[in-house]
Amino acid sequence: MSGTIVGGWSYVIAAYTLTAVVLFSYGVSLFARLRKGSR
Amino acid sequence: MLTALHKELLLQWRSRAQFLAVLVFGAAALLLFSFAIGPDAQALRTFSAGFLWLGLLLSSTLTLAESFHAEMENQALEGLLLLPANPRAIYYGKAIANWLQLALIGVSLVPVMVVLYDAGTTRIASLIGVILLGTAGLSAPGTLYGAMTAQIRSRQTLLPLLLFPLIVPALLASVKATSLVILGDPMGQSRSWILLLAAFDAIYWSLCGMMFGRVVDE
Amino acid sequence: MNELANFRTGRLPYYLLITGVLFLLAGSYAGLFVAPPEQYMGQVQRIMYVHVPTAWNWMLGVIFALVSAIVFLINGNYKWDARLEGALEVSTLFAFLLCCQGSIWAKPTWGVWWDWDPRLTSVAVLLFAFLGIVALRNFVDDPARRAVWSAVATIIASVDLPIVYYSVKWWNSLHQQQSSPATVSNQYYFPLRVNAFGMLFLLSAFIMLRSRVASMRLRDELAGPETI
Repeated sequence: MSGTIVGGWSYVIAAYTLTAVVLFSYGVSLFARLRKGSR
Repeated sequence: MLTALHKELLLQWRSRAQFLAVLVFGAAALLLFSFAIGPDAQALRTFSAGFLWLGLLLSSTLTLAESFHAEMENQALEGLLLLPANPRAIYYGKAIANWLQLALIGVSLVPVMVVLYDAGTTRIASLIGVILLGTAGLSAPGTLYGAMTAQIRSRQTLLPLLLFPLIVPALLASVKATSLVILGDPMGQSRSWILLLAAFDAIYWSLCGMMFGRVVDE
Repeated sequence: MNELANFRTGRLPYYLLITGVLFLLAGSYAGLFVAPPEQYMGQVQRIMYVHVPTAWNWMLGVIFALVSAIVFLINGNYKWDARLEGALEVSTLFAFLLCCQGSIWAKPTWGVWWDWDPRLTSVAVLLFAFLGIVALRNFVDDPARRAVWSAVATIIASVDLPIVYYSVKWWNSLHQQQSSPATVSNQYYFPLRVNAFGMLFLLSAFIMLRSRVASMRLRDELAGPETI
């Protein structure tokens, strides 16, 4: 690749946000399931 | 194991109408592929190997699911295991029978492929060889998972779901090798694909044989 | 069954979670704002600071799933089935994340959403394989069968991973012009390492907690009207 990729912040933000959201949601779902299980 | 194989082949001979149905299904699939692509002769010929193996793969879900149908109907699976036969022998008997049936379907679909996609070749022996190796790769894990899924509900969806990701290397190698046979192989690449197929077959025929006992254990 | 009795205690996963999140915040901050943009890839390189740690930890998750499967088949202790269930689900999650991150990286870099990179394609194949195993677990009610079958399927899928990788690599090399996503090429390893540990803590915590969920259900299932 000879040129430079200009910009691209939107992709970076997308990647980080997606990762955060997915991990967070999974954590929440785990807590919900744990709570339900120990009832 | 030979008795197991003999029994399987006998069963298959008796249900040869079923075999014909699967064959027609495979041919229909090939036909549909050509409609999906359109009457572009060049494109059809280029991708003919892919279509053949996709058609074969789809047909295999029918064949593999069917192969344990007889046992499941009459609870015969438990009966089989009570015999002083090694579960491994049962596995290999079934796997070989499935392999032969799939290979037969594959070879029978070749003329369909030749006609629909103008994908003829004179290297028949190589073509048959690739089909044999490739279907062996489908049959080994397919028989194992067929045994598993036959015992539960929703077996039709689960068998392809489990099998398809697994056989990706066999599919890639078979398609590439077949394609090289049909379209020509100027750089002699087919040897590496054949080797990959052979390795895949060796690994899975041994691994699945080892695991089969646990899978049908009650 | 007694083997599952003491599975549910301990606050370790929660500490791991908090530590993991803190590490990820620190590493991501560094990756986003402190590290300079890379020579050719510009800002897009920053995605690697989260993609590479995810990849390493996905691999660890798969290895743990494989180990759990093997150990269960050897000793039949359902603790390992619970762990397998946890490892399967979390690995699937990480695989999904990897594919998304890889796709987001690929678009500005190669101009397409997917470029058949051998590593990422292998992840995608294993993602489907593991999804199939998770589906299998959902369709089998008998815990003994479910455990044995999913262990067998996990072993088979894991053995397949290197084969898939090499086959895709050869398949792609016939067409591939560019190389696979570069690993971090500059000296700024700090965000990478910190995020890697952060993800590791999260991975471990998730697997532990998910295994707990599994063990709770297993206890109910196994304590059926059987005599021990």
